Amino acid sequence: MTKSNPPIPVQQSAAATLPPDTASGACGEQATAELLRQRIASQFGRSLHIRTLDTGSCAACEQEIRLLAAPHYDLHRLGFFFTPAPRHADLLMVTGPMIRAFDVAARKTYDAMPGPKIVVATGACALGGVYQPDAFVHGSVGDILPVDVWLPGCPPSPLALLQGLLVAVDRLAGKVSSLSFTSDDQPGEVRQ
Amino acid sequence: MTLWFLRGLHRGVVTTRYPARPDGSAADLPTPPVFRPEALDSELADRLVAVCPSHALRRDADILVFDVGACTACGRCQETAGSAVSPSGEFALAATSRGHLVKRIPLRREART
Amino acid sequence: MTAVQPGAPGTIASLIGAISGATLDGTGNAVTVNVPAAELEAAVHHLAASGGRLADLFGSGQDPAVLHLVWALDAERQYLIVQSDVAGDEYPPLSDIAPAAFAEECEIYEQFGIRPATGKPLNRVALPPHAGPDFPRLGHQPRPAPAEIHAPHTVGGHAFEFPFGPVRQVGMESLYYGLVTSGEEIVDLYLFTWHKHRGLEWRLRGRTPREGLFHVERTEGLSAIALSWACAAAVEAALDVAPPPAAQRTRAVALEMERLYNHAAATAGLCQATGLTVGQSAAEIALERLLRLNAAVFGHRYLFGVMDAGGVRRAPDEAVLRAGLPGAHGELRRAADALLSTNSFLDRLEAAGIVTGEQARRLGLVGPVARAAGLTIDTRLDQPAQPYVEHPPAVAVRDSGDVLARFQVMQDEAAESVRLIGDLLDAGAGTGTATLPGAAGSGLGWAESSRGEALAWVALNAEGRITRARLRPASVRNWRGFDDACRSQNVFTDIPIIEASFWLTVAGTAR
Repeated sequence: MTKSNPPIPVQQSAAATLPPDTASGACGEQATAELLRQRIASQFGRSLHIRTLDTGSCAACEQEIRLLAAPHYDLHRLGFFFTPAPRHADLLMVTGPMIRAFDVAARKTYDAMPGPKIVVATGACALGGVYQPDAFVHGSVGDILPVDVWLPGCPPSPLALLQGLLVAVDRLAGKVSSLSFTSDDQPGEVRQ
Repeated sequence: MTLWFLRGLHRGVVTTRYPARPDGSAADLPTPPVFRPEALDSELADRLVAVCPSHALRRDADILVFDVGACTACGRCQETAGSAVSPSGEFALAATSRGHLVKRIPLRREART
Repeated sequence: MTAVQPGAPGTIASLIGAISGATLDGTGNAVTVNVPAAELEAAVHHLAASGGRLADLFGSGQDPAVLHLVWALDAERQYLIVQSDVAGDEYPPLSDIAPAAFAEECEIYEQFGIRPATGKPLNRVALPPHAGPDFPRLGHQPRPAPAEIHAPHTVGGHAFEFPFGPVRQVGMESLYYGLVTSGEEIVDLYLFTWHKHRGLEWRLRGRTPREGLFHVERTEGLSAIALSWACAAAVEAALDVAPPPAAQRTRAVALEMERLYNHAAATAGLCQATGLTVGQSAAEIALERLLRLNAAVFGHRYLFGVMDAGGVRRAPDEAVLRAGLPGAHGELRRAADALLSTNSFLDRLEAAGIVTGEQARRLGLVGPVARAAGLTIDTRLDQPAQPYVEHPPAVAVRDSGDVLARFQVMQDEAAESVRLIGDLLDAGAGTGTATLPGAAGSGLGWAESSRGEALAWVALNAEGRITRARLRPASVRNWRGFDDACRSQNVFTDIPIIEASFWLTVAGTAR
């Protein structure tokens, strides 16, 4: 996909720093992010190129990501493609707990992607689970890169990855925000 | 190539219809837990916090804070809490804000001191 | 420490008897011998000459640091651990075990500050370049600091050095290749993995075995069962407990399922590397079916959460496994059979990435890589532990040592795994966990992962917490064979093919 001059201002991602006089608090941040994501979705049209980035995973997340191109999942039918070159990529799928020794490589890969671009933190390690911040790891990809979509799982299955990618391009609404993870069922009742 | 072509035709289509239709294989996936607040007393909450190997659970006064993003669906909390914790069945968990993944679950208010 | 006990197997006893100053230590499935530092060199000469295979070399403790050498005496079906206190910074040169142990010596130096008394420079291997004096280590900081290598071999003539990575092909782990080439031919190849070092061994200290297994599984996720089994077995050896037999069979069922999906994934990787997209799709169909079977049978696509210290946490869903396994393996078998009739595929594999038997022996390689080079080593047979004593596998061996041989070994092993799973289910695979006593001790555990022999050694204190856990997945061993396999008459485009035929992980080496 060729990159013509994007009509929107050069803001690196939806989670970039806010203008100082934004409407108060979370609402303002949400509105800006939402607006930018919608513009990104219309900008990208129907196809999206994905670059993966391993910041220290156990290799299981990578195996699930590879299966996105496999017959059972076939991300191509949804307009997604993998690309080895950050220069051609629209979306960066980042796995691993962001090992500190990897910071420079992660930053270089992200900076090599022209805007607009989306970062998807993939897997529990990338979201801050499994590894606490210490001398080896940041613990969360969000420490180094601006993250647009947070994708839980250990590892996230290809179905979960597909949902995450579709949420990233605004083709699916994320539903986790409306889930409470509580249940009023009595023990033994069948859950819906 | 005839060999491969014929094999492919014979094999048929295995591609999922997701997201247009649900995929049956999702039923076997491990998923983060749901909690029954009326079964969660303070002591059980503390045990759950201690048993989670991924720091997905923490206490905030009489709230159990559950970080779905850090959850690996390992099932240790369910093993510890019996009927108070069960699988959610939710695998489609992507969120556009990190805060959407942090759930605050009220603990059971003690009826008696 | 006691004198050599009459119970030790005869040959071992005579071996130990021939090492002056050796004393036997502890119980369990491996024989542990303490040797004074002054006698260590002679002991190593003796063990190497008697045909032992050095399976691992690691350190523990500080003031004094202790050097541990794990010898696999496969003919005697016994592991022998030689331990030696290292007073000061140096231990005797163990030149007989180089070059196989050079990477381990470097790792010991950067973690414990002790080195062999040869004076030769040691490289930084696992820790990142910015690791200063306060960086977490298992022992003392090394002085002087390890060398920074950029080209471990001279780049002469028309060759130039070409750094590639660590961010490389999509969907592959980060890995830095230092390629030395004259244009297309690979003159030399070295790898850096420090950007994936999470410090797993450091993290495990102070944890209970149960807590630790969560992290051990995620050291090398694609060998979750093998490595967690090795670690659990090490704990069980240290505490002298045995899991219930039904749980042992469950462990083996899970391990064989792990072997199956890894070999399917390697097949898909080989097809991707050779550009055979249709074959790749066929192998990926098999892989996805196997992963879905894992989820249906054990509750997780990568079999996380099955292993427990003392047993297993989950039993397999036997009916689902029996129903689903023939079909899933059939997909793989049909894909492999078709590949073996496809000349464009075979031409890329034959005579590519050759590892000779002599190289495999010298470098201490394990698993399908070694078996494809003619070495008949398989811990399931060589170091029998239940349930493989009652259910021994047939070992697949080839001798051409090339990518094709490795591919064929993997397919033979996959078929054998299916047969083993059937036998294990017939004998009964269930749950169950033996109670772990709260006691101190140390022990060695092992499992034959899809990549080869995975080892773990664990030391526990009186509160039952880990004081030292050594994790040695097969990837730690076999990456050093990758350099040799890529050199000599191989070109750039062969590298992905050779890498797929090894099917290792960076996570397992870097830990």
